[in-house]
Amino acid sequence: MPQHSRQDLAKPDLAKPDLAQQDPAQQELVKGDWRRFERWFIPGLIIVFCMVAFWLTTTFKTMPPILKRGIQPSDFPQLLLGLLVLLTLFMVWKDPIRVKERMHRSTWGTILLFVVFAATTAVDLFLALAIFAVAMAAYWGERRAPMLALVGLVIPVGIFFVFDQVFEIRFPRGLLTNLWYG
Amino acid sequence: MDPLINGLISLADPYLLSLLLIATIGGVVIGALPGLNATTGAALLLPFTLTMEPVPAIATMTAIYCSATFAGAITAILINTPGTAASATTCLDGYPLARRGEAGRALGMAVVSSTFGGIFSVLCLMLAAPLLARAAYNFSPPEYFALTLFGLSMLASIGDGSALKNLIAGGLGILIAMIGVDNLTSVERFTFGSYELYEGIGFVPVMIGVFGISELLVQSQQLHVKREAIRMKSVELPGRADYKKTWRTILRSSGIGTFIGILPAEGATVASMIGYNEAKRWSRNPEEFGKGAIEGVAGSEAANNAATGGAMVPTLALGIPGSATAAVILAGLMVHGLRPGPAMFTEQADFAYAIFWSMMLVNILFLIIGLRGAKIFARVTLIPVQVLWPSVFVFSIVGAYALDQSMFDVWVALGSGVIGYFMRRYGFSVVPLAIGLILGGMLEQRLGQSMVMLDEKWWLMFTRPLTLLFLVLTALALFGPAVWGRLVKRRAPLESSGE
Repeated sequence: MPQHSRQDLAKPDLAKPDLAQQDPAQQELVKGDWRRFERWFIPGLIIVFCMVAFWLTTTFKTMPPILKRGIQPSDFPQLLLGLLVLLTLFMVWKDPIRVKERMHRSTWGTILLFVVFAATTAVDLFLALAIFAVAMAAYWGERRAPMLALVGLVIPVGIFFVFDQVFEIRFPRGLLTNLWYG
Repeated sequence: MDPLINGLISLADPYLLSLLLIATIGGVVIGALPGLNATTGAALLLPFTLTMEPVPAIATMTAIYCSATFAGAITAILINTPGTAASATTCLDGYPLARRGEAGRALGMAVVSSTFGGIFSVLCLMLAAPLLARAAYNFSPPEYFALTLFGLSMLASIGDGSALKNLIAGGLGILIAMIGVDNLTSVERFTFGSYELYEGIGFVPVMIGVFGISELLVQSQQLHVKREAIRMKSVELPGRADYKKTWRTILRSSGIGTFIGILPAEGATVASMIGYNEAKRWSRNPEEFGKGAIEGVAGSEAANNAATGGAMVPTLALGIPGSATAAVILAGLMVHGLRPGPAMFTEQADFAYAIFWSMMLVNILFLIIGLRGAKIFARVTLIPVQVLWPSVFVFSIVGAYALDQSMFDVWVALGSGVIGYFMRRYGFSVVPLAIGLILGGMLEQRLGQSMVMLDEKWWLMFTRPLTLLFLVLTALALFGPAVWGRLVKRRAPLESSGE
């Protein structure tokens, strides 16, 4: 016979320490005002995005009745955008955004590395991948040279040859790929 | 009967067999690595399947799905960190068992119950999918529209976000699907005159971004987490006493998992939670749960693996993904030019049954691999994140590029990754975004077709019994939990006043 209600299900311990409890800076954050900023900023951003998208839908071509196939091209996106705005407003009231911890410096650094990666792809995609992989591994704390060589050399080169030889994918030409493509 | 046998015969291909073996091992490794899961694994693998025939391509993805779902239990038991979210409940009793020196017993039970749950669900899939497809064969656009809407409404209850945030994320996914040329009228929408946006945003780069690259950014916050595995001698097959104690739980959880899996968008995570909870409710020793009850491991693992077969039922029969990983597999089917839906069981029945049989085989394969190799795979969990995630990034970028050999897709993957990270940070799950992206085009197309069919009188949809049924189910999925919650709240004071 059932002996416990469904509410008895314990929340699994995901072994993720609560950073807000560990880091004094994070504790400060929870008390701080900026959380309120995010509560309004994100819904505001979504609503502005929806409004701009709605305005864009008004620029879509309108089909004559004989060609419109049930709905105009702008009808469905407009209906959806309206719903999104309503849901967002409802979210502000019923389920506001709460952020438990400050974004870590390592996350900002990794995003910055994405930007560096995007910039270096102009020179060569695989060179950019190799530089990114080594930089990221080092930034995340890896100091062993063989490991850095593995992520920066062996893996990108291995993947290049698997895709080039097995899947016959042609990568964009660049400083390094030109050496192979000739 | 022919497609059933033809599907089985297709497994005799040594190329397919070796691919399945490699994919099963790969899936176990992916599932054992904290942070990587079946969805990310399938998304990263998708570009590798491009040059394959449809059967090996999709069979490989389903192999990753089944084996990674099982392998989450390895880390859950040995390091108290679920390899996949679906194994979170396995931690509750698996880890205490491991700490008591019974890691081998816990893993043995996880392997056996996962295999049973998986095989049970594949048998249900073989039975239910063709029946569902037959029932859906005569659906008209209004029924399809309402069904797709129902599938999307189920997004409210999936993922780690709240219902409202899930719906917003799903809506954004549908909006992204609107980019490009409108299928019904050939009018350009949100293209800004860009050639790359003309054909719309591809599923694959977005999925690689939101599942792979966003997880990388999440992992960048957990660099300080130290993982230490508990040592064990070997995996033990459950003894007679364990079987006696757990067979009812395994059977019940397999049924629960399959049913939950069949519900559109509900996946292994929900299944394992309900499976675990029901195991506890029906147990003769519920007080042991959380302290190392073998039934807890069996209940959770049978349910999460049973959900894999269940999730493939609506995916193949209706074209509505049964889970996040099934959504990636659905994207894979589309990329390979296949049309999931009722027609699959008439026009591509051999393909469908080949997938069923391969899923069955994978469940047997990971029984062997799990029993023999869990000890080795447990070490995989100790791969430093500093090595793992840069490698995942390289795979992600090359995979995103490979589909159309376009750098634009690389930017889409990178952008989706960053957006996906911020969505997760602010409590929005990325799973609804991915499913919304897949179903968005379908939903609009079916609405347009319905309007043509009903002579633009949309209210006539409510006069069609099946359409009405799906719309009622949609309303229940959206508002049911809130209304139920309010009712329970109102009744609570009455009950307490009656004391």
